[in-house]
Amino acid sequence: MAAKGKMNVEHLGGVARLREEHQKVVKDCESRILHWDFTSLRLYRCVQLDPLRRDKVQCSSPPRKQFTGSRKKVSGDYEALTERLQTLPDQLSYDIMVPFGPLAFMPGKLVHTNEVTALLGDNWFAKCSTKQAQKIVDHRMKYVKSEISDLSKTMKNFEARVGLVRDLESISSSKGDYVDIREDTENTGDIAVTKGKQRIAHKPNSKPKLDAVLDLKEEDEEKEGSRKCTTTEEELWARLDELEKQEELQDDHDRLSYNANMNGEDTSSLSSEEEKEGDAAPAVNGLAHSEAPPSSGRKADEEAAAAEEDDDEEEEGSCLPTIFFSHTIEPKKVRINTGKNTMLKFSERKEQKEHSKRKNKNGHSNGHSHHELHKITTPVDIYRLFVDVKNGEPVPRKSILKSRSRENSVCSDTSESSAADFEEGRRAVGRSFSHDETTQSDTSDGVTEEESPTAVPLHRASRFEAFSGTVVEKEPMPSAVPYLTISPPALPTILERKQEEVAPDVAPPQQAPKRLSKFKAARLQQN
Amino acid sequence: MAEALQKKLKAEVDKFTLMQKDVSKSMSARQKLETQLAENNIVKEELDLLDTTNTVYKLIGPVLVKQDLEEAKATVTKRLEYINGEIQRYESLLKDLEKKSDQHRELLSSLQQEYQKAQGLAVGKV
Repeated sequence: MAAKGKMNVEHLGGVARLREEHQKVVKDCESRILHWDFTSLRLYRCVQLDPLRRDKVQCSSPPRKQFTGSRKKVSGDYEALTERLQTLPDQLSYDIMVPFGPLAFMPGKLVHTNEVTALLGDNWFAKCSTKQAQKIVDHRMKYVKSEISDLSKTMKNFEARVGLVRDLESISSSKGDYVDIREDTENTGDIAVTKGKQRIAHKPNSKPKLDAVLDLKEEDEEKEGSRKCTTTEEELWARLDELEKQEELQDDHDRLSYNANMNGEDTSSLSSEEEKEGDAAPAVNGLAHSEAPPSSGRKADEEAAAAEEDDDEEEEGSCLPTIFFSHTIEPKKVRINTGKNTMLKFSERKEQKEHSKRKNKNGHSNGHSHHELHKITTPVDIYRLFVDVKNGEPVPRKSILKSRSRENSVCSDTSESSAADFEEGRRAVGRSFSHDETTQSDTSDGVTEEESPTAVPLHRASRFEAFSGTVVEKEPMPSAVPYLTISPPALPTILERKQEEVAPDVAPPQQAPKRLSKFKAARLQQN
Repeated sequence: MAEALQKKLKAEVDKFTLMQKDVSKSMSARQKLETQLAENNIVKEELDLLDTTNTVYKLIGPVLVKQDLEEAKATVTKRLEYINGEIQRYESLLKDLEKKSDQHRELLSSLQQEYQKAQGLAVGKV
């Protein structure tokens, strides 16, 4: 503003000077016109007064002076002269009072009235008759009039200029009603510049394409990057923070899946995810990493489907699932906040997609049961949610399709869409639960049945696909959590029971003593 | 340092004013010539209008000297040419003077800046 003010002052000075110069020219023109033209004296006087009001009027308009006046206007003079020339040759001689010096007059006669010595200009005279003189006079009149017209034209031009300059003066001095409209193009320029910068900045942030898992995440980031191009820098930083949080999420999942990984397939993705971890901002992820290791031990039991779940999260795209970790001695409780829906729905949907892919072995303590409840990766998880609370402990149900189950279910969210899942998982989960339930009722069966699921994992890889369910551990034996896996739900419960009864016949001899003891202990505790 | 600069500046300013005077002189002379030119043009026209019957006088001092019409015409024409030549000469002179004055003006401005800097330094030192 200071610079602008200074400019205004300078400009103002220049404008004032310009105005004065213009007005000088106008004055000069007017004076010349007045010199030439007597008849328009009155008119020009008026004109003289108005525009020159502000200026120091040098040629102050004199009072009206006619022929007797000191200032004789040329055109007026010439007009008078013409008259004289016409009347002069009327008489041969005139009796006149001849001026004799400056103070005296003498009576005399005016002779040779027709002979006139006319000044041609530049000290040249010509003797001629009155008529010829008349011609000369006319000639000169023409010249004078042309001069006057030229002068008046220039005067008008300069008067217009004076008006403009006056307006400019008023504008620059901000006295008038004129307002200067200015647009700062700096902002837009910066935005344009930052647009380019933003685009460039996003490229290093985007993760290298290492895996399909990463590709999905990249898409999200690129989408966000393109979105950012239209926002300001501050929004960009906020967005970057969000992305970093997402990366945190991803990294934690990766850590968990890495720890729980038993498969060659997972290692590839996990290694790539590990690399991704390395790419992510270490400062931001440091916290996540610190959180991850302590939880890794406990989450070692978690399904490797967590990796798959990450894929699911990435596939979602629009909603940003975030996982919040808290450092507690108690088993970690993971809350998944999805942008769209509740947790349950989200995981159920993902279950449908990833149903066939998952492999997993899990062991869960009661502490993890809550965690497992909220993290549905398999149809089994659904059944886990549908639990009855007996004696303060969640008890799995036999069937979740029954109205009773839905009424008393711990699970808050029930949807018809999940019914299909239930049917799928029911067979698988039902078995496990039925196993569990039977353990209560029938110890012998329970023993064998409990054995069977434990034996199943041995044959899991050979017999069935990757999918495996998880069973909720009801009893307070966190350390003694055995790995319970359930085979895919292709077979009816009874058949599977038979199979499992057959299977353990083969397997149990090796592990029988240990397993028995554990399960027995559990069963005993239940009872 | 500042004083020397100041003296130098003054000298330069004087030179510049002289130059400006020359410029204005030549300008006024040129204007005079131009009016004479205009007048002589009128005289020539008038003389062309006249015929031989009327005598032509030239005013030399307080004396009106009789002149021949033809001579008058010739004289006027010559004068006219002379005036034209003078005007051209003065024009070229004016151009040169203006160039010189511009150069001098630049020099003056640079000197002024130096002087201001020196003054600023002096103030800073003090």
